[in-house]
Amino acid sequence: MKLIKNQKTKESIFKLIFAMTAVFTIFAVIAIIVFLLYYSIPAFQKIGFFNFIFGKEWNSSSADTYDGEMQGMYGILTMIVGSLFATSGAILVGGTLGFFTAIFIAEFCPKKLKKIFSNAINLLAGIPSVVYGFFGMRVLLPLLGNFSANGDGSGILSVSIILGIMIMPTVTALSTSSLESVDRNYYEGSIALGASRERSVFKVIVPASKSGIIASIVLGIGRAVGETMAVVMIAGNNPVFPTTLFSSFRTTTANIVMEMSYGGELQTGALIATGVILTFFILVINICFNMVKKPANSTSNNKFMVYLSGIKQKFEKSKFLNIKSESLTRTKFLTKSRHLDIVAISLKHFSFISAFLGIVALLTTIIFIFVNGFPYISSELLFGEFNYGGDPSIFSSIVSTLMLVFLTSLLAFPIGIMAAIFLAEYSKRDSKLVRLIRLMSETLSGIPSIVYGLFGMLFFSQLLKLGTSILAGGLTLTLMIIPTTIRGTEESLLMVNESLREASYALGAGKLKTIRRVVLPSALPGICASVILGISRMIAESAPVLFTMGASIKPMPKNFKSSGASLAVALYALGREWMHINESYATACILIILVLLLNLLSQGIVKVLGKRIKGA
Amino acid sequence: MENNICIKTKNLNLFYDAFQALKEVNLEIPQKEITAFIGPSGCGKTTLLKCFNRMNDLIKGCKKTGLIEINGVDINSDIDVNALRRDVGMVFQKPNVFPMSVQDNITYGPMTHGIKKKSVLDNIVFDSLHRAGLWNEIKDRLNKSALSLSGGQQQRLCIARALAVAPLILLMDEPTSALDPLSTSKIEDLCEELKKDYTIVIVTHNMQQAVRISDNTSFFLLGEMLEFGKSDEVFANPKNKKCENYITGRFG
Repeated sequence: MKLIKNQKTKESIFKLIFAMTAVFTIFAVIAIIVFLLYYSIPAFQKIGFFNFIFGKEWNSSSADTYDGEMQGMYGILTMIVGSLFATSGAILVGGTLGFFTAIFIAEFCPKKLKKIFSNAINLLAGIPSVVYGFFGMRVLLPLLGNFSANGDGSGILSVSIILGIMIMPTVTALSTSSLESVDRNYYEGSIALGASRERSVFKVIVPASKSGIIASIVLGIGRAVGETMAVVMIAGNNPVFPTTLFSSFRTTTANIVMEMSYGGELQTGALIATGVILTFFILVINICFNMVKKPANSTSNNKFMVYLSGIKQKFEKSKFLNIKSESLTRTKFLTKSRHLDIVAISLKHFSFISAFLGIVALLTTIIFIFVNGFPYISSELLFGEFNYGGDPSIFSSIVSTLMLVFLTSLLAFPIGIMAAIFLAEYSKRDSKLVRLIRLMSETLSGIPSIVYGLFGMLFFSQLLKLGTSILAGGLTLTLMIIPTTIRGTEESLLMVNESLREASYALGAGKLKTIRRVVLPSALPGICASVILGISRMIAESAPVLFTMGASIKPMPKNFKSSGASLAVALYALGREWMHINESYATACILIILVLLLNLLSQGIVKVLGKRIKGA
Repeated sequence: MENNICIKTKNLNLFYDAFQALKEVNLEIPQKEITAFIGPSGCGKTTLLKCFNRMNDLIKGCKKTGLIEINGVDINSDIDVNALRRDVGMVFQKPNVFPMSVQDNITYGPMTHGIKKKSVLDNIVFDSLHRAGLWNEIKDRLNKSALSLSGGQQQRLCIARALAVAPLILLMDEPTSALDPLSTSKIEDLCEELKKDYTIVIVTHNMQQAVRISDNTSFFLLGEMLEFGKSDEVFANPKNKKCENYITGRFG
């Protein structure tokens, strides 16, 4: 009897721990939002809300304070417009390519190639944005410069192309899975009416997966709006309206990065306010995403599929079966169907071209960087002694990145996994608490990375006096990684068959034991995969650690209070110096290799562990 | 007599990879009558049905030998398979309406085959919904999603959709197995009505249904056609022992 009681206490202690980690995410979101709002209020008051949003002039002065006379001008309309244009361009390029590539992969791709294509697309979705920015800066800008009046390639066009290539894998991956989940009965139904393959795809399957495709594009929009580093590297960053395809402009995200490190009191306030506006935009986009993602109640369907005009109630007078409809006057049995659907067929060809273009663009980026960088990966670069004057060595950055990954993993994964266990195993599905936590963790994952960086700098570095350090960077990154870990883990926990849990309970095992011995082992492949993807994201992110951990390559870190650029930031730093071209290519190359390896590893683990579990 | 034959198979064999699903099927289906395929699950009824509009083409590893003629044309020769499927309509086991409006479901087929004029399309919608006995029930809901209809209405919409391309033959693969009794009776009545204009081949597990609505019945077992004849005769005095056992409920 006593034994049972002990077990019960243990059970409830663990339940409490799991619940606390889940509640932590709620607090984190509220903390970030309240904190940013609170710190932006003085700036909004001083500048004036409307002057800030609709002001066309941005000319900040680091001497401005909240009390004194205002020297500078703080209007961000040019940047809001800049963000809008950049995002539209990115969606035009990346959305179109991604959508049609998805159609190619899901419907027209030969089976053998299909796996290769979709794996490749998934791998490419993980490439750090700073690598794309670097490629744009080194290759695309000089190329486009030939066509621009002022010889400078930066502007809307370059940003659209680079962001487009960047978001294309995301759009493709999500759209593909949405297309593939369409009930095959629809396809058969269409084929059985004598519709061609192309027509069935474009008239039935694509409309049927409309919500998933729109969701993938909305997610792409979110990524494009929130992207910082790649944009900073190629936009030109003048705070003016983009008037031509080649005129330098600034986005809201870029504004934060450009001036954050040396901001005065009011200036910093204005940057926080920029972050608040940006976050607001992203949250609105996310809400749209969630509304689209939950497929509208299938019965209600208002204007679903309105590609045909509506029919009027004008048949009442016509007599039953007396109509000689044209289709019934048959021409000749089994004649060739004379109607060729030119639109559907040309759309099919367009999807081939898109897939080709998209893959070529992605591969060009990767291969170009490999060809230019791989030969320069030397032991000198990797493990050389650090010095400020001579050839750069990224040894200290590698070590800093490892420490960052270690620290972040130590914090983010336990919290994320335990919170997911609470959500999946302890709480009633769809209870209010669960929905709140899920909403919060989705919000957390929607906040753009530069806003995390801003929050981390103000909260961890300045308020908690952690300074610019690996510790502050790790804490900032932890907040970013938790939501994706929760989502990945929860999904794999929910995939575990309910009957396994029941069997375990039937044998008299408690909840905790069931989770530990039955549920977790079955969900292990999925959890491992999300952990590895988390690590690859830690390596890839640059905006959140730029100002919390260090913007330049520094000597070897001594402990977690030391500062120094992570590998991704090192590429940003090296890439912008025009001296060490080869070394920056090599660094980009190392980043790509690391991220690709980690992504491959996560795919491999799912396969191998999954097989082992099935085999056992 | 020969002129009345609509579908004819000669020594038809069909394989899914190594598995032989149809063995030496020789069959002559008269036109403008209802022919039922009966037999236990997995006996090849649906497989044979799908040969008639070459829906088997979609299945990997499916191979056919022998001859299938529809109105004297070898449908496995170099014909336009989309035109074949236009002329040989099919209704599936589960209603598979497209996630579009009722109207768009009907016009999808005709538009696919090149009819663009709105007045013609409107007539087709009216006509096929009438033929499917659905017009009065849903005339006010033509712009509503087809998914909002009841299961029985959805299945009749599928029939209307098949009729909208003016087929000569209607293949029905257990069209009532997912429906309630009332909807089933409506569809059976509909079949009686439709056979004035169409040749109907129906696969069914429900032998009462076969007796009620079909003119001819053929019995299948393990890919072989063991019996074929007028439904009254087949059900009253089956010639084949196994067919008798099946009809009298000794197996199946």
